[in-house]
Amino acid sequence: MAQYKFTSVEEMPPLALSLDSTRKISTGSWRHVRPIYKDKISPCEVGCPAGEKIPEYFDLVREKKYERAWYKILEDNPLPGVTGRVCYHPCESQCNRAFYDEAIAIHSIERFVADQNLDKHIPHLAETVKSEKVAVIGSGPAGLSCAYHLVRRGYRVTIYEAEAEAGGMLRYGIPQYRLPRNILDKEIGDIANLGVVIRTNSRVGENVPWSELEKFDAVFLAIGASKSKKLGIEGEDLEGVLSGVDFLRKLNTGRVPEVGKRVVVIGGGNTAIDAARTALRMGKDVTILYRRTRKEMPAVPEEIEEAEKEGVKFDFLIAPLRVIEEGGSVKGIEMQRMQLDKPDESGRRKPVPLKGTEFIVEADTVITAIGEDPDLSFIPYSFLKKGLRIVVDESHSTGVPGIYAGGDAATNPYGTVVDAIRAGKEGAEAIDEFLGWKSSKSTEAMTVVKSGDINTFYFPHEKRLKSPRISLAKSKNSFKEVNKTVSEKRALREVDRCFSCGTCVHCDVCLTFCPDVAIIKDEFGEYKIDYDHCKGCGICVSECPRDAMELVEEELQWV
Amino acid sequence: MGINERESLLHSSVDKVLVIEGTHAASYAVKLARVQVISAYPITPQTGVVEKLSEIISHGELSAKFIKVESEHSAMASCIGASISGARAFTATSSQGLALMHELLHWAAGSRLPIVMVNVNRAMAPPWSIYVDHNDSLSQRDTGWIQFYAESNQEVLDTVLQAYKIAEMVLLPVMINLDAFFLSHTSEPVAIPRQDVVDEFLPPREAPFKVDPSDPHAFGALIGPDAYMEVRYKLHRAMGDAREIIRQVDTEYAEKFGRSYGGLVEEYQTEDAEFILITAATASSTTRIVVDSMRSMGFPVGMAKLRVFRPFPDEEIYKLVKKARKIGVMDRDISFGATGIIYQETKAMLYNSLVRPPLFGFIAGLGGRDITPSTIEEMFNYMIKNDRPESETIWVGLKHKEN
Repeated sequence: MAQYKFTSVEEMPPLALSLDSTRKISTGSWRHVRPIYKDKISPCEVGCPAGEKIPEYFDLVREKKYERAWYKILEDNPLPGVTGRVCYHPCESQCNRAFYDEAIAIHSIERFVADQNLDKHIPHLAETVKSEKVAVIGSGPAGLSCAYHLVRRGYRVTIYEAEAEAGGMLRYGIPQYRLPRNILDKEIGDIANLGVVIRTNSRVGENVPWSELEKFDAVFLAIGASKSKKLGIEGEDLEGVLSGVDFLRKLNTGRVPEVGKRVVVIGGGNTAIDAARTALRMGKDVTILYRRTRKEMPAVPEEIEEAEKEGVKFDFLIAPLRVIEEGGSVKGIEMQRMQLDKPDESGRRKPVPLKGTEFIVEADTVITAIGEDPDLSFIPYSFLKKGLRIVVDESHSTGVPGIYAGGDAATNPYGTVVDAIRAGKEGAEAIDEFLGWKSSKSTEAMTVVKSGDINTFYFPHEKRLKSPRISLAKSKNSFKEVNKTVSEKRALREVDRCFSCGTCVHCDVCLTFCPDVAIIKDEFGEYKIDYDHCKGCGICVSECPRDAMELVEEELQWV
Repeated sequence: MGINERESLLHSSVDKVLVIEGTHAASYAVKLARVQVISAYPITPQTGVVEKLSEIISHGELSAKFIKVESEHSAMASCIGASISGARAFTATSSQGLALMHELLHWAAGSRLPIVMVNVNRAMAPPWSIYVDHNDSLSQRDTGWIQFYAESNQEVLDTVLQAYKIAEMVLLPVMINLDAFFLSHTSEPVAIPRQDVVDEFLPPREAPFKVDPSDPHAFGALIGPDAYMEVRYKLHRAMGDAREIIRQVDTEYAEKFGRSYGGLVEEYQTEDAEFILITAATASSTTRIVVDSMRSMGFPVGMAKLRVFRPFPDEEIYKLVKKARKIGVMDRDISFGATGIIYQETKAMLYNSLVRPPLFGFIAGLGGRDITPSTIEEMFNYMIKNDRPESETIWVGLKHKEN
């Protein structure tokens, strides 16, 4: 180092200043903790049964790379156009932003990404072609998801579908005003394009013998639950009484069911709401009768609100006793008031009848929608059942070697479209492992970002995106899709609200705050830490708005 | 308002005349000076300064970075960082806030950084007070900051503009003090100069030494006993040089903007005065009135307004004592166990002078107590009546039990 030899005050600079660069002083040796970039998992990703990498595709949307964002979703879910419309978005109830102002409208962004790519098709991604063949029974969301994840792994997959068209409940259960058929057809078409053979009108055990399945190396049972639960009351078999599932199926296959002017729907789930809103669109006077209160309704809250807005009436704490007949047709239904008692096994408070409160609700048609069960009677395999469902383990194995099951027909998990997609994906992973190919499932447990880990200083408060919809006047009289896709501008604004919990978005906050200028951006825009000069002060880590960095202890080195 | 002031409002350099508080006069000056980094923590009665500035920045009228901080210590630290990297920096504070900055005041001066700060003079606590006296800034006497005291809102604006010029020439930080409420919250007409004239007067800062991340050097690092003293000597000499620079800048300012404040000391009716009172800040305005009225009754009184406390105006004081029979100093401050601080400084300066008239040290107006014309008359009358002061501190307006 050059020594500054001064002989007089006149020669000296006015302040203490090193003449040499301080770069050569390796202040990194002072450090006992080191900052590292470490992506963590966001709670939305944990909350998504399909395991969509939400912050990652949001990041791509932010850069307007909509096709790549779509590919990112497709890694986990082949049906984003469907789930963007009908999923009950459990991701949003986990969103860290909910603790700050309002959760991100993730489903609207998922739908936006899917709709931006309607003119494109899922590319062939399989790296290897395998000789093993897998049969999937049922083409609902579980079956489609399983087939998709298998074909991407190079397997030869055949789906057997009993109905005339693929889609299962997505086609025969969900009304068109929620899920237009062109979207469903497009996404199923994309899966078929990858090489999945979909054999429709093929009911295994009827026009396809079970023996045909012997040529497959594994089978995934995804037959769903399409058998309506019975009310178990007098008059249930009358002509004016029909199940919600049958009612919707008829309508969705173009056979308009005969329905009287006054319609009552018994139940509080999504089928009840779908049936009620459908009947309303047929110009009927519709009332939903539910034995608990609105709070306990299993249907998606947004759907309940929509139904109410459109004019569906509700009566709560009320249960049916018998259907009243007059001249062979329905005249009404005798009901009884209920009150809520202690919680039952579902965790909800159990309704108990109030004696002497019986009364009659006049009706021409009664639609029952108190739940659906699978019909397993035609399956020859011997596996355990719990109630009317196939018992499966974590890997969706039925216990019978090579026979897997998922979706509404199996025990875990079931109930919604996205649960079925998850079951299909996990089933495919398990089959992959069973057939001796290495599973791609990551076993590394990642830390989940908590709301307190977010540096909210960087995020101004902003209102959540409200799904745009067609006018009420238009929606309640037609089967036109109610909700619209958000505009690009609005989608980008919503994506900007996202904290990107645990995912580095290259915001430069760490670089700006480093007091030692020890963070460098390389030619690819990635951050590098100059550990020769980083003193380990930790400012970068505590400033990081999204918890994508952490401090780790340095290992002591004894020289 | 005197004729001079009225004329100055009509000067060709004036863009517009606004009736504004002293705090806002400071804000407008900062805007005109094209300050690049502002960092401050709010404290009554300073708040208006930075409130207005944040408004100006958010309206896009000034391209500056406003750094919000959690304390005055951090505010000054931010200004030091900004200034060391070559930016023009500003902060404002008051009283306890200034006291909290103390360590970094040394830092700023020791690094020879031309930071400008507005301090609204407010009495130190406890007992709590939000009203004016000068103990807060005078306590920072030995930190190496140039200190100005302003009499009017116009002077606040003009001094901030002059301060950047002075600071960047001598490489020393400058503190501009204004009296709490009497200036900070009182509206007066203020001539806002045209930006182009200000730009001509105050070009962008050119820092001779600055931090450059691509070629890092150590600033303010450890220095051995073999060199420390020389660096200190240089700081002291810069303070000395500042006297002449302040006079020059005041003259140049007068040429461009039509207003002068006499450099370090402004004299009023001193030419034939036998009794001169040294004042500072707003009490000077009241003193002018008392001087006029006493002169109309035949008393040869005058005033010398101390505009700059650091560097202490030596030549001006020597000149003054040659004129007067007796000199009084009005201190709005007290160094406990000694005397008023300005009195003490004046007295010390005169020890080696051949001319040494009797010196009277008055203490008045602490914690915002009004200094009225009768308070000042009392001081002049005391000087006229007494050959020498009966005490080193003459407390004027103190409430005693009536006998």
